[in-house]
Amino acid sequence: MTARYSTWFCLTTGAMLLMALLLVIHAGVRTTADRLILRETTDLVRSLELTDLCLFTEASYTRHLSLADLRTPFQEYPLSLEHFPSGSLAAPPPYLTESHAPHP
Amino acid sequence: MPHTLEKQRHIIDFTLASLLRRKGKNGALFTVYTLIVFILASVMFFTYALKEEAALVLKGAPEIVVQRTLQGRYAPIPEEYAAKIKGIRGVMAVRSRVWGYYYDPVFMANYTIMAPESFSLGPGCIALGSGISRMRRAYEGDTISFTGADGKSRNFTISKILPQESQLLSADLILMAESEYREFSGLPPGLASDLTLKVRNPKELSTIAEKVVRLLPDSRPIIRNEILRTYDALFSWRGGLLIIIMSAAVLAFVIFAWDKASGLSAEEKKEIGILKAVGWETSDILFMKFWEGMTVSLTSFLAGTILAYLHIFFTAASLFAPVLKGWSVLYPEFRLTPFINPGQIATLFFLTVVPYTVTTIIPSWRAATIDPDSVLRS
Amino acid sequence: MIKVTHINKVYNAGRPNEFTAVRDVSLTVNLGEVTVLKGPSGSGKTTLLGILGCMVRPSSGRILLSDREITSLPERFLTQIRRETFGFIFQQFNLIKGLTALENVMAPAYPTGEKYAPLRARALESLALFNMGHKAAARVEWLSGGEAQRVAIARSLINNPAIIIADEPTAHLDTKLSHEFMAIVRQLKEKGKTILIASHDPIVYDSELMTSRIELRDGSVITPGSPA
Repeated sequence: MTARYSTWFCLTTGAMLLMALLLVIHAGVRTTADRLILRETTDLVRSLELTDLCLFTEASYTRHLSLADLRTPFQEYPLSLEHFPSGSLAAPPPYLTESHAPHP
Repeated sequence: MPHTLEKQRHIIDFTLASLLRRKGKNGALFTVYTLIVFILASVMFFTYALKEEAALVLKGAPEIVVQRTLQGRYAPIPEEYAAKIKGIRGVMAVRSRVWGYYYDPVFMANYTIMAPESFSLGPGCIALGSGISRMRRAYEGDTISFTGADGKSRNFTISKILPQESQLLSADLILMAESEYREFSGLPPGLASDLTLKVRNPKELSTIAEKVVRLLPDSRPIIRNEILRTYDALFSWRGGLLIIIMSAAVLAFVIFAWDKASGLSAEEKKEIGILKAVGWETSDILFMKFWEGMTVSLTSFLAGTILAYLHIFFTAASLFAPVLKGWSVLYPEFRLTPFINPGQIATLFFLTVVPYTVTTIIPSWRAATIDPDSVLRS
Repeated sequence: MIKVTHINKVYNAGRPNEFTAVRDVSLTVNLGEVTVLKGPSGSGKTTLLGILGCMVRPSSGRILLSDREITSLPERFLTQIRRETFGFIFQQFNLIKGLTALENVMAPAYPTGEKYAPLRARALESLALFNMGHKAAARVEWLSGGEAQRVAIARSLINNPAIIIADEPTAHLDTKLSHEFMAIVRQLKEKGKTILIASHDPIVYDSELMTSRIELRDGSVITPGSPA
């Protein structure tokens, strides 16, 4: 006898719920395990007196967002949509962005 | 009511058999739906985890940073400012930080060079952030050369690579002794990049900041809270920007889903009539429509959310990286800690599953109450 | 036994396109009988059939099913009665396209919440009874007219109803298939089912299987099959 559609539905949904549960457990385990690493990172931040995340290294005002200029919003203000709309249409010249880094 | 379960299973059987009649259309709907949930959930997981992590580690950031503004932009600060600020009541310690940027013309990347307070490596030795190390393939014990402000190349020995785990903050760092950095960068003695303050009572931070400005009108104090707020706002904005782009897609999907779910075709109306004629109650018809919405939206929601989690926390947001990387050459290969906000997932559930299911049921409400004899008269 | 008294059915009442489909009909159908409603199209056969099968509510008059007054029952109870007491064979067969013959046959039993395995077994049995066992997994739109009708008959029997109602069952069948249909009617009659057929096909209403014949014209009964 072939399986009913509802059996398939219940199995699929059940499997996905199980998967979701496993991921929740994964999140819990990882969060607990990472606590030590995060504490070490916080210590590094404290000893080096770091202020910012190294997310965008292309300009000083994006590398150190919180230390960016206060009074020149159109020049060096991280929340300005820089040079909009031209900035969203034209990319910087390729010789500025060409990466020599080994591709991982 | 032992029959109730079996009855619902029968109705699910029937609904799925009906949906499978239009495999292409419903398959496309499921795929688009899953994709939308995937993108929304990815944005959600990514921004939340990043924000949480930023908030956690930046608790170690200096309580107050004092910059000097000259000609409308920030500039090196005279070290004698430190002594003046030290005189403010409640300030425990002031340290002048010496740091700056270095542009690597070969790799066209920007690095941050810092001279930490306690630098224990020997002369001519530096510590390298893991991002630079990876990019330049320079490892502990290697010699690396940088060009100083005077145009002369200098060799440094890499004595240490900063821990991989702290990449999110330190990927582009170079640590150097202060004297060497001054010589390298040409920062004259008596000037520092900025000042950091330690304060006795954290409640007085803003009062002290005010006093600093009053004492030194060309200074700009930045309180730690402002740093934390910057990152909170930044990712909201980034997340928000993505959501603005997404909203167009979502809107298109809503129209598609609305058309699919609400437009009861004559064929569907006839089928409802047949089912009523052979003994289905109005409630059975509505259950059928409920399952029609539920099977599609629930499975899409679960699939999209699970895929988003795998995307963000197992593949390190590989699809977002090109967007977030922007024009930067150096990008941290960070592994986010999976901080999850159950409230956000619940919101996503209520914004996707519930409206879809409701738009499936509501239009069939009228059709479900039609007289069964309509099939006799057709 | 179904007994109706002074039944009227007016469609679109009060509007310009108002028309009376059934006019003051009183009749009784006894259990075990095979009754044919005869008359030209538009004579109200289908509407009367719908009223007798609890599918259409009359505008006025009373319906008694086994001495139980059901005229004013709420929709839910009527649906239940319809499901348990009547099996319908529609003129257009009204099978649900895209589903298999088996799924179509099982559909009327879904709201009862009967266990899947026995229900499936009964549905297959019912299909086999009409030589449709081998087509159980076929989609209904792939079936021929005669096959589709046999699926529709199998479906009407799935809830084991006491009364079978067929509206113009031979309208879409050729002569050979119409005779085959009458053979099925004989089979059902032998099983003790009460059968109500609306038809203007002589193969049906001249059949010796008919125990009563009711002729309708313009919504009224001309020759009462049995005294009211």
